[in-house]
Amino acid sequence: MALKRGHLDLIIYGAFVAVILVAPLWLDDFWVNRLSKYLVYGMLGIAISLSWGYAGILNLGQGLFFGAGAYMLAMSLKLASPTSLQSSDTPVPDFMLWNSEPGAVANLCCINRVSFLWIPFQHQWFGLIAGVALPSLIAGLLGTVLFRRRLAGAFVSIITLAFVLMIRLLVIEEQPLTNGFNGLTDLALLTIGNFQFDPYDRATYYLVAVSLSLALIGARLLVGTRAGLILQGIRDDQARARCLGFNVPAFQTLFFSVSAAIAGLAGMLYVVVAQFASPTFLDISFSITMVIWAAVGGRSSLLGACIGAIVINMIEATASETAALLDLWKVIIGLIFVLAVLFLPRGIAGLAGSVSDRLFAMWSRGRGQAELPSGAAQPAE
Amino acid sequence: MSAAVATKDLTVQFPGLTAVDQVSLSVETGELRVLLGANGAGKTTLMDLISGKTKSTAGRVLVGGVDVTNWEEHRIARIGVGRKFQIPSVFRELTVQENLTIASCKSVSLVSNLGFGLSHRQQRRIDEVLDLTALTGVRDRIASDLSHGEMQWLELGLVIAQNPKVLLLDEPTAGMTQSETRKTAEIIKSLRGRYTILVVEHDMAFIREIAEQITVMHLGRVLAEGDIAAVESNEEVRAAYLGSKGIH
Repeated sequence: MALKRGHLDLIIYGAFVAVILVAPLWLDDFWVNRLSKYLVYGMLGIAISLSWGYAGILNLGQGLFFGAGAYMLAMSLKLASPTSLQSSDTPVPDFMLWNSEPGAVANLCCINRVSFLWIPFQHQWFGLIAGVALPSLIAGLLGTVLFRRRLAGAFVSIITLAFVLMIRLLVIEEQPLTNGFNGLTDLALLTIGNFQFDPYDRATYYLVAVSLSLALIGARLLVGTRAGLILQGIRDDQARARCLGFNVPAFQTLFFSVSAAIAGLAGMLYVVVAQFASPTFLDISFSITMVIWAAVGGRSSLLGACIGAIVINMIEATASETAALLDLWKVIIGLIFVLAVLFLPRGIAGLAGSVSDRLFAMWSRGRGQAELPSGAAQPAE
Repeated sequence: MSAAVATKDLTVQFPGLTAVDQVSLSVETGELRVLLGANGAGKTTLMDLISGKTKSTAGRVLVGGVDVTNWEEHRIARIGVGRKFQIPSVFRELTVQENLTIASCKSVSLVSNLGFGLSHRQQRRIDEVLDLTALTGVRDRIASDLSHGEMQWLELGLVIAQNPKVLLLDEPTAGMTQSETRKTAEIIKSLRGRYTILVVEHDMAFIREIAEQITVMHLGRVLAEGDIAAVESNEEVRAAYLGSKGIH
């Protein structure tokens, strides 16, 4: 039974990967671009499921990691953009020129007091690496502080929420560094080798789809390890895990960081697809919306949370094109969330799980009494 | 040879209360020691101090001769102390099998657990534990769906699978029916000799069944120590804990 369950999982994950890989065959360029955006959100669903569903850490500031990833790559792409001044030693972003003091040297070293931080971003690979490294590092530090102190539940949620707000303020305040409210726009295309990733091109879609598949499979493998099982144990009962000799904060911090890295990767891909980075990524509403996707899809299923994110966004896109539903949409999503919490605590994935369990049981019974059904199909003694 | 677990003048003061007051205790390797005492006598707090859940304010805790006073819980666990709580503490959203898998991970380090499954030897060990705790039939059931007795046995199984040197069992029969209590006594008796066991219990029938040495605590202090007959006849014990009517 356990083996068959595992196989079923494999088939479902495989089917999902196959569907997203062949989907562009039936879609026009506009929808391909749209769908790549939703797949990016799907990746955020995976990140939320990993930390909330598996580690029991409800992070209400996941937008921070998404935003960090997005800004890191966007800084590199901004420097490579034709809208940046390319004539001096170092490229200089246009917004720095507009806001520079009279007589300032047009060079990243000193056009303003913080512009030097942009210097390493001249290399695109630096932005690409930092886009994953910075979110993991922040999560690692934050996790070490929070989990060493044995904070859990609502306290972690409140601190992550406050933290993302604080960083949002900083990003908006530090206009010379970040272009404040306006964010980073007019970016160059991501170029790897000689290939440019045009957001309306299928190659970009495949970049996102393959990244999503790898993140999904990687995360699924990770939670299937003994460490993944131990992590779920920690979620259920920290005291028991400590008494068994496990260093609880180390496990929590690792998975929190992996979740942050996936969110950072999603942030980078979003920049490639949408071609901007903005402080709106750090809005509370965005971080909470992600949690809703995961709750509706099923937080304890990586794939469920991922599909939840994609499906809700597709419905939202369709709804917002219908004038009558435009204003109602927020109400509808709120209602879906309330209904999911009330009636589907394990989300769509949980529903699918119990339906398949039932089918499994019926099928086993259908095979006659000679072979006794085992496991879930057997009534409790 | 040093004692498997010993405390020396162990004390913990909470604001306005000395919960454990200069307790010196020495349990030999392979011994089964029962801690007896009224509510508030400091039995559970003493276990908390040994397992590192509560930090002491004075005195020392030695496990196999190693001074583990005020170590972090997971480090004390690694040195070989297993703890069963009064209220069953199991991984409720995981199956019985998964619970035991976690407990029997050979190494507790993060990196060495980034692999899949268990070795055949560990799987056999889990089968043994399932057999011992009579949980083989429910191995695929989610822990929160178990009956109270089964959950207590599962927790006992987790502690056994962990393979510690010292077992701290806090009221292993709490909330159990008579037949479940008997079954638990069987399990604990079968562990005798293989592990050093310190068990907190109220149930006199159960104590008679399993006890060799008894330590009686009262208001944070050790009142008496000895076999069941010695404790029963001890005047101080009768006065403080049992009342004049003796043990029933």
